[in-house]
Amino acid sequence: MASVTGTSISMASFKASLAPSSRISNVKSVSFPISGKSFTTLRMQPARFRISCAAKPETVTKVCEIVKKQLALPDDSAVTGESKFAALGADSLDTVEIVMGLEEEFGISVEEDSAQSIATVQDAADLIENLIEKKGA
Amino acid sequence: MEKGVQRWVVDISKWDPSPHDFCSVLSLLPQHQRSFVTRFVRMEDRKRALVSQLLQYALVHEVLGIPFDEITINRTLEGKPYLGNDNAGLEFPNFNFNVSHHGDYVAIASEPLCLVGLDIVSYDIPPKETVLEFIQNFSSYFSSLEWDNIVNAGSCDGILTEFYRYWCLKEAYVKAIGSGLAYGLDKVEFLHTRWTNISVKINGEDTREWRFWLFELGKGHWASIARGHPRSATESYRKTLQGSEFNLEEYHKGLHLPNVDFVSRTIEELISVLHGEAYKIPGDERNT
Repeated sequence: MASVTGTSISMASFKASLAPSSRISNVKSVSFPISGKSFTTLRMQPARFRISCAAKPETVTKVCEIVKKQLALPDDSAVTGESKFAALGADSLDTVEIVMGLEEEFGISVEEDSAQSIATVQDAADLIENLIEKKGA
Repeated sequence: MEKGVQRWVVDISKWDPSPHDFCSVLSLLPQHQRSFVTRFVRMEDRKRALVSQLLQYALVHEVLGIPFDEITINRTLEGKPYLGNDNAGLEFPNFNFNVSHHGDYVAIASEPLCLVGLDIVSYDIPPKETVLEFIQNFSSYFSSLEWDNIVNAGSCDGILTEFYRYWCLKEAYVKAIGSGLAYGLDKVEFLHTRWTNISVKINGEDTREWRFWLFELGKGHWASIARGHPRSATESYRKTLQGSEFNLEEYHKGLHLPNVDFVSRTIEELISVLHGEAYKIPGDERNT
């Protein structure tokens, strides 16, 4: 089944072998437009069968806030879903603290290997929602 | 072989180029390398990235004698730079290097046979947490022995210092093997005698195949060097190496080469190495 995500993610800072199953959204691929124009060959999937979807905007915003705070970036900095942690100047210590901050904020627990495969803000937001959903299930 | 062991450091705090000057220096790099600089959002990070690139090209040119425009530097999937050129011949069976940048410093280290990893940390007081709250974030990356050493270091100053030293060494190890991950580091346990004779136990085993050093660079910054066996490299990095198997004698020769002190280089010098002539650096106030 194809996953429908709104972002295309660069592989530049990924570890070669990603954790399987729930990480379909991280395959280097062209983003599928959701506007409906190219939907002739895809059936719309009922919500509860989605494997991995792009996170809600509120989640992305919250992640951006936490990242800006950790990296001491001014409020008006251009931090979006596509922003890569490394490009924002996050070093290894920052990355760990950001993940800790996200765990606290969202009440989740992130495995070391998933934490390390987060390269962009969107990745983090997707992972968070995935974990929240699993927790609720 | 000793010539392959290099440690260079640049203090970028005095370099304050205008955007135009920055661009001129950037344009000295091959086209495809520039995005590794410009991808950074903050100017300070761009400066560090640019100097890191200059160091790589200058080092390869100076040590291996390859003309600047023939040097090919590639990156592994995890982002580790390596020399793409078909290599140096028998003098350096496995030439490799590593860069690091943090705060005021950008540095590079190279080795002719062993893997090398380099990391710079600075003694930064956590702005919004207590020292104990801060280090607690990282507790899963330390073995219980290391953790005890850190928390029992006495003052907050002592605790933070021990923490940064251990972290710096762990990072150097991770970077030497070319991993993008600080994964399973609680199983990479550092042993030392007052921060000399530093060795490592991996999964409880002291293989005696790794050596480490810590240097104080000044202004509260430290640099760590890791030197280890090429077969410890991650798969993607190992593919870039000339060789990863050496007999015991060869390997020990490489492992026990003298470790040299860091040599201070200026941005001006790096550029003149690349161009083989004196060059006035835009933005360097010392020239005016």
